[in-house]
Amino acid sequence: MESEQPTQQMPPPQPPPRRLTRSRTDRVLGGVCGGIGRALGVDALIVRILAVALLFAGGISLIVYVAMLVLVPEEAEGAEQPSSLRDANTAVVVLVAIGLIVLAPILLGGGLLVAGLLFPLAFIALAGMVTWWLVSGEPFAGDAGDVIRRSSLGLVVLVGSALLFGAGFLGAGIGGDAAAAGAVVAAGLVLVVGAFVGRVRWVILPAMALALGVSVVAAAGISLDGGVGERDYRPGSSAALKDRYELGAGEMVLDLRRADLPRGDTPLKLQLGMGQATLVVPENVCVASKADVGAGAVDVFGDTNAGVNVGWDDQPEAGRRGRRVVVDADVGFGALLVRHDRRDLGRHRRPDRGDDGPFGDYTGPGNTGCSDA
Amino acid sequence: MRRPDVPALVAGVALVGFGGVLLLDAVDTLHLTFASVVPVACAAMGATLLALGLSRRP
Repeated sequence: MESEQPTQQMPPPQPPPRRLTRSRTDRVLGGVCGGIGRALGVDALIVRILAVALLFAGGISLIVYVAMLVLVPEEAEGAEQPSSLRDANTAVVVLVAIGLIVLAPILLGGGLLVAGLLFPLAFIALAGMVTWWLVSGEPFAGDAGDVIRRSSLGLVVLVGSALLFGAGFLGAGIGGDAAAAGAVVAAGLVLVVGAFVGRVRWVILPAMALALGVSVVAAAGISLDGGVGERDYRPGSSAALKDRYELGAGEMVLDLRRADLPRGDTPLKLQLGMGQATLVVPENVCVASKADVGAGAVDVFGDTNAGVNVGWDDQPEAGRRGRRVVVDADVGFGALLVRHDRRDLGRHRRPDRGDDGPFGDYTGPGNTGCSDA
Repeated sequence: MRRPDVPALVAGVALVGFGGVLLLDAVDTLHLTFASVVPVACAAMGATLLALGLSRRP
């Protein structure tokens, strides 16, 4: 008698646990919706529609999407798509990002706060990508992770360049111009040596920024010695009058109306790095002025000259028994103003006078203390 | 010998030259103005951009 052997049925293999990953194959931006759809067993299109709908509810889906883009890993390499498709995805990323920037303020309505945050963030990210493309030559292709990495590296280079521009400007401005120029030469040598050793292209932009900062100071003749801020000098006698007034950056007013200036010439040296220097004199005092302005303007009782590397020389005579202030001004960036009244300063414009010049349309008395006035 | 990275080399040489000019200004051998700095800076950046552009050609 044959005994029947009971057949042993093997249990069906357990499906692997559904791990949430970003999809490599089903993606529009970073594969987040495709990954969620696969993990939940629903069509990714439904997830996408839901995500777009939630965008109008204060933009919550955007925040969740960005968080998942950063925190959720991509699925394994096996399902990697061909590079041409990845490039196409990158183009879609860029286009959708631009579309969001343009349309978000219109579409979001109540979510304008999100739109307000979105625009600068998108702009910063784009600036980072373009910077990295310029300094490394790496194309815009790649997935969302590559885009974020390149954008971040570009931003690091951009911020570093801005800091080096400032360092060069300040270093040269406070008197370390030789050291700052030496740093530019050193940066150039690093590039020359690095060109034979490794990848140093990313150094080009920061080194250029450093050179630019130093060269602006050199070209404008800026000196930041003398501090920063507002200075208001009102000497009460000619004895209290110094022969030199200096300010690094800010606004300086020298009011000589109470100085009781002696007959003859009173020499005066004004030095300003950046900002505005204003000389106020009584109407019976003649002003002879000589000024070098790196970039900016000179305005002596309404006679103006403005532009880059402005040279000003006006030497009227005061007459035999007259009083004359002989001003020698050196301004890096900014302006030199000479007036008879503080109310005529540029910051006290009078619309009723039809002010439209850089310091208003001056209609006060001219250089009345001079013999030919 | 390893082939040099031409854009980095060009930028480096340009910066050494530009830095030298700035150094001469700092020791009062030259007197730089915007009229003289801008062409020099444009030449340095232009040479670098040219080298970058040519290096990307297939």
